[in-house]
Amino acid sequence: MLMVRAIIRPEKKEEVLSELSRAGFHAATVLDVVGRGKQKGIKISGVVYDEIPKALIMMAIRDEDKEDIVRIILKYARTGDQGAYGDGKIFIAPVDEAYTISSGIPSL
Amino acid sequence: MKEVIAVVRMNKTSATKKALVEAGVAGFTAFKVEGRGKIVTNPTLIAERKKELLMMAGDDQTGESEKLITDFLVGTSLFPRRMFIILAHDEDVKKIVDAIIAANKTCNNVGDGKIFVLPVIDAVRVRTGESGETAV
Repeated sequence: MLMVRAIIRPEKKEEVLSELSRAGFHAATVLDVVGRGKQKGIKISGVVYDEIPKALIMMAIRDEDKEDIVRIILKYARTGDQGAYGDGKIFIAPVDEAYTISSGIPSL
Repeated sequence: MKEVIAVVRMNKTSATKKALVEAGVAGFTAFKVEGRGKIVTNPTLIAERKKELLMMAGDDQTGESEKLITDFLVGTSLFPRRMFIILAHDEDVKKIVDAIIAANKTCNNVGDGKIFVLPVIDAVRVRTGESGETAV
Protein backbone atom coordinates (compact mmCIF):
# COMPACT_ATOMS: atom_id res chain seq x y z
CA MET A 1 0.00 0.00 0.00
CA LEU A 2 1.12 3.53 -0.70
CA MET A 3 0.09 7.01 0.41
CA VAL A 4 -0.07 9.53 -2.41
CA ARG A 5 0.07 13.19 -1.42
CA ALA A 6 -0.51 15.54 -4.31
CA ILE A 7 -0.20 19.29 -3.91
CA ILE A 8 -2.08 20.94 -6.78
CA ARG A 9 -3.65 24.23 -7.75
CA PRO A 10 -6.93 24.70 -5.84
CA GLU A 11 -8.82 25.48 -9.05
CA LYS A 12 -7.78 22.09 -10.46
CA LYS A 13 -9.02 20.16 -7.43
CA GLU A 14 -12.54 19.41 -8.70
CA GLU A 15 -11.34 18.26 -12.10
CA VAL A 16 -8.61 15.99 -10.73
CA LEU A 17 -11.00 14.45 -8.17
CA SER A 18 -13.71 13.77 -10.72
CA GLU A 19 -11.24 12.24 -13.19
CA LEU A 20 -9.81 10.03 -10.44
CA SER A 21 -13.32 8.96 -9.52
CA ARG A 22 -14.12 8.19 -13.14
CA ALA A 23 -11.07 5.93 -13.30
CA GLY A 24 -12.28 4.06 -10.22
CA PHE A 25 -10.19 5.76 -7.54
CA HIS A 26 -12.92 7.39 -5.53
CA ALA A 27 -11.62 7.54 -1.97
CA ALA A 28 -9.61 10.66 -1.13
CA THR A 29 -9.00 13.19 1.61
CA VAL A 30 -8.61 16.84 0.64
CA LEU A 31 -7.27 19.76 2.62
CA ASP A 32 -6.45 23.36 1.91
CA VAL A 33 -2.81 24.22 2.52
CA VAL A 34 -0.45 27.12 1.91
CA GLY A 35 3.13 26.78 0.83
CA ARG A 36 5.93 27.78 -1.46
CA GLY A 37 8.10 25.86 -3.87
CA LYS A 38 11.49 25.97 -5.50
CA GLN A 39 10.73 29.36 -7.06
CA LYS A 40 10.51 30.88 -3.54
CA GLY A 41 6.97 32.13 -4.03
CA ILE A 42 5.74 34.73 -6.47
CA LYS A 43 7.11 38.26 -6.76
CA ILE A 44 4.52 40.78 -7.85
CA SER A 45 5.68 44.39 -8.16
CA GLY A 46 8.30 44.03 -5.48
CA VAL A 47 6.15 42.14 -3.00
CA VAL A 48 7.03 38.48 -2.44
CA TYR A 49 4.14 36.14 -1.77
CA ASP A 50 5.50 32.94 -0.26
CA GLU A 51 2.31 31.51 1.21
CA ILE A 52 0.53 30.41 -1.93
CA PRO A 53 -2.75 28.55 -1.42
CA LYS A 54 -2.83 24.98 -2.77
CA ALA A 55 -5.00 21.90 -2.37
CA LEU A 56 -3.49 18.75 -0.89
CA ILE A 57 -5.08 15.46 -1.96
CA MET A 58 -4.23 12.41 0.14
CA MET A 59 -5.02 8.92 -1.13
CA ALA A 60 -4.13 5.50 0.21
CA ILE A 61 -3.77 3.19 -2.78
CA ARG A 62 -2.70 -0.28 -3.81
CA ASP A 63 0.84 -0.52 -5.18
CA GLU A 64 -0.35 -1.55 -8.64
CA ASP A 65 -2.58 1.54 -9.03
CA LYS A 66 0.29 3.97 -8.51
CA GLU A 67 1.10 4.57 -12.15
CA ASP A 68 -2.51 5.16 -13.20
CA ILE A 69 -3.13 7.61 -10.38
CA VAL A 70 0.08 9.54 -10.95
CA ARG A 71 -0.68 9.72 -14.68
CA ILE A 72 -4.20 11.06 -14.07
CA ILE A 73 -3.00 13.69 -11.59
CA LEU A 74 -0.18 14.78 -13.91
CA LYS A 75 -2.56 15.04 -16.85
CA TYR A 76 -5.33 17.01 -15.18
CA ALA A 77 -3.40 19.15 -12.69
CA ARG A 78 -1.13 20.59 -15.36
CA THR A 79 -1.86 24.00 -16.84
CA GLY A 80 -0.98 24.77 -20.44
CA ASP A 81 0.64 22.29 -22.84
CA GLN A 82 4.02 22.16 -21.16
CA GLY A 83 2.85 22.68 -17.60
CA ALA A 84 3.83 25.74 -15.63
CA TYR A 85 5.60 26.68 -12.41
CA GLY A 86 3.17 26.26 -9.56
CA ASP A 87 1.31 23.23 -10.88
CA GLY A 88 2.38 21.27 -7.84
CA LYS A 89 4.12 18.12 -6.67
CA ILE A 90 3.26 14.50 -5.96
CA PHE A 91 4.84 12.62 -3.06
CA ILE A 92 4.48 8.89 -2.50
CA ALA A 93 5.18 7.19 0.83
CA PRO A 94 4.81 3.58 1.98
CA VAL A 95 1.87 2.57 4.19
CA ASP A 96 2.35 -0.41 6.53
CA GLU A 97 -1.25 -0.98 7.58
CA ALA A 98 -4.72 0.40 6.84
CA TYR A 99 -7.92 -0.21 8.78
CA THR A 100 -11.57 0.47 7.97
CA ILE A 101 -13.15 1.63 11.23
CA SER A 102 -16.73 0.58 10.50
CA SER A 103 -15.75 -3.06 9.99
CA GLY A 104 -12.45 -3.13 11.87
CA ILE A 105 -10.97 -5.07 8.95
CA PRO A 106 -7.29 -4.39 8.27
CA SER A 107 -7.61 -3.54 4.56
CA LEU A 108 -8.16 -0.56 2.29
CA MET B 1 8.58 4.63 14.85
CA LYS B 2 5.25 4.84 13.09
CA GLU B 3 2.89 7.60 12.03
CA VAL B 4 -0.77 6.75 12.59
CA ILE B 5 -3.13 8.79 10.38
CA ALA B 6 -6.80 8.46 11.34
CA VAL B 7 -9.72 10.08 9.51
CA VAL B 8 -12.79 10.16 11.76
CA ARG B 9 -16.23 11.72 12.02
CA MET B 10 -16.31 15.35 13.23
CA ASN B 11 -18.56 14.52 16.19
CA LYS B 12 -16.18 11.76 17.32
CA THR B 13 -13.28 14.14 17.90
CA SER B 14 -13.62 14.30 21.67
CA ALA B 15 -14.30 10.57 21.95
CA THR B 16 -11.12 9.92 19.96
CA LYS B 17 -9.10 12.31 22.14
CA LYS B 18 -10.35 10.57 25.26
CA ALA B 19 -9.60 7.14 23.83
CA LEU B 20 -6.05 8.25 22.97
CA VAL B 21 -5.41 9.50 26.51
CA GLU B 22 -6.73 6.20 27.87
CA ALA B 23 -4.44 4.32 25.51
CA GLY B 24 -1.50 6.22 26.96
CA VAL B 25 -0.75 8.62 24.10
CA ALA B 26 -1.65 12.21 24.77
CA GLY B 27 0.23 13.83 21.89
CA PHE B 28 -1.40 14.27 18.51
CA THR B 29 -2.05 16.77 15.73
CA ALA B 30 -5.61 17.21 14.48
CA PHE B 31 -7.13 19.24 11.71
CA LYS B 32 -10.22 19.57 9.59
CA VAL B 33 -10.23 17.88 6.21
CA GLU B 34 -12.71 17.03 3.49
CA GLY B 35 -12.97 13.64 1.92
CA ARG B 36 -14.88 10.87 0.32
CA GLY B 37 -14.66 7.10 0.64
CA LYS B 38 -15.33 4.04 -1.41
CA ILE B 39 -18.59 4.24 -3.40
CA VAL B 40 -21.32 2.38 -1.52
CA THR B 41 -23.02 0.02 -3.95
CA ASN B 42 -25.44 -1.69 -1.57
CA PRO B 43 -28.87 -0.09 -2.32
CA THR B 44 -30.55 -1.16 0.93
CA LEU B 45 -27.76 0.45 2.96
CA ILE B 46 -28.16 3.70 1.01
CA ALA B 47 -31.95 3.67 1.41
CA GLU B 48 -31.64 3.11 5.16
CA ARG B 49 -29.16 5.95 5.66
CA LYS B 50 -31.22 8.26 3.46
CA LYS B 51 -34.31 7.67 5.58
CA GLU B 52 -32.39 8.36 8.77
CA LEU B 53 -30.74 11.53 7.41
CA LEU B 54 -34.03 12.86 6.03
CA MET B 55 -35.60 12.43 9.46
CA MET B 56 -32.74 14.45 10.97
CA ALA B 57 -33.15 17.19 8.35
CA GLY B 58 -36.65 17.97 9.56
CA ASP B 59 -39.23 19.73 7.36
CA ASP B 60 -37.84 21.19 4.25
CA GLN B 61 -40.29 22.22 1.56
CA THR B 62 -37.66 23.16 -1.02
CA GLY B 63 -36.25 19.64 -1.44
CA GLU B 64 -32.77 21.07 -1.03
CA SER B 65 -31.78 18.85 1.86
CA GLU B 66 -32.98 15.80 -0.01
CA LYS B 67 -30.70 16.71 -2.92
CA LEU B 68 -27.78 17.30 -0.54
CA ILE B 69 -28.33 13.96 1.17
CA THR B 70 -28.58 12.13 -2.15
CA ASP B 71 -25.35 13.74 -3.42
CA PHE B 72 -23.68 12.83 -0.16
CA LEU B 73 -24.78 9.20 -0.28
CA VAL B 74 -23.90 8.55 -3.92
CA GLY B 75 -20.47 9.98 -3.26
CA THR B 76 -20.43 12.97 -5.60
CA SER B 77 -19.68 15.51 -2.88
CA LEU B 78 -16.89 15.79 -0.34
CA PHE B 79 -17.84 15.77 3.31
CA PRO B 80 -16.06 17.10 6.41
CA ARG B 81 -13.92 14.86 8.58
CA ARG B 82 -11.30 15.28 11.28
CA MET B 83 -7.79 13.98 10.66
CA PHE B 84 -5.56 12.88 13.55
CA ILE B 85 -1.83 12.36 13.15
CA ILE B 86 -0.17 10.46 15.99
CA LEU B 87 3.51 9.60 16.23
CA ALA B 88 4.04 6.32 18.06
CA HIS B 89 6.56 3.64 18.99
CA ASP B 90 6.18 0.43 16.99
CA GLU B 91 4.86 -1.55 19.96
CA ASP B 92 2.12 1.00 20.77
CA VAL B 93 0.59 1.05 17.27
CA LYS B 94 -1.79 -1.86 17.85
CA LYS B 95 -3.05 -0.34 21.10
CA ILE B 96 -3.69 3.02 19.41
CA VAL B 97 -5.44 1.49 16.39
CA ASP B 98 -7.69 -0.62 18.63
CA ALA B 99 -8.54 2.40 20.78
CA ILE B 100 -9.47 4.53 17.75
CA ILE B 101 -11.58 1.75 16.26
CA ALA B 102 -13.41 1.19 19.55
CA ALA B 103 -14.11 4.91 19.99
CA ASN B 104 -15.29 5.54 16.42
CA LYS B 105 -17.33 2.52 15.52
CA THR B 106 -21.01 3.31 14.91
CA CYS B 107 -23.86 1.08 13.77
CA ASN B 108 -24.12 2.85 10.39
CA ASN B 109 -21.83 0.30 8.69
CA VAL B 110 -20.32 3.02 6.48
CA GLY B 111 -18.53 6.33 6.88
CA ASP B 112 -16.70 5.67 10.14
CA GLY B 113 -13.33 6.50 8.63
CA LYS B 114 -9.95 4.95 8.00
CA ILE B 115 -6.69 4.47 9.83
CA PHE B 116 -3.34 4.35 8.04
CA VAL B 117 -0.01 3.36 9.57
CA LEU B 118 3.08 4.77 7.87
CA PRO B 119 6.73 4.19 8.74
CA VAL B 120 8.75 7.14 10.08
CA ILE B 121 12.51 7.21 9.59
CA ASP B 122 13.44 9.83 12.15
CA ALA B 123 11.95 12.32 14.59
CA VAL B 124 13.59 15.27 16.34
CA ARG B 125 12.40 17.03 19.47
CA VAL B 126 12.86 20.75 18.91
CA ARG B 127 13.27 21.64 22.60
CA THR B 128 16.25 19.36 23.28
CA GLY B 129 17.44 18.45 19.80
CA GLU B 130 17.37 14.72 20.65
CA SER B 131 16.42 12.43 17.80
CA GLY B 132 15.24 8.88 17.19
CA GLU B 133 12.99 6.81 19.48
CA THR B 134 13.51 9.10 22.50
CA ALA B 135 12.03 12.05 20.59
CA VAL B 136 8.66 10.36 20.09
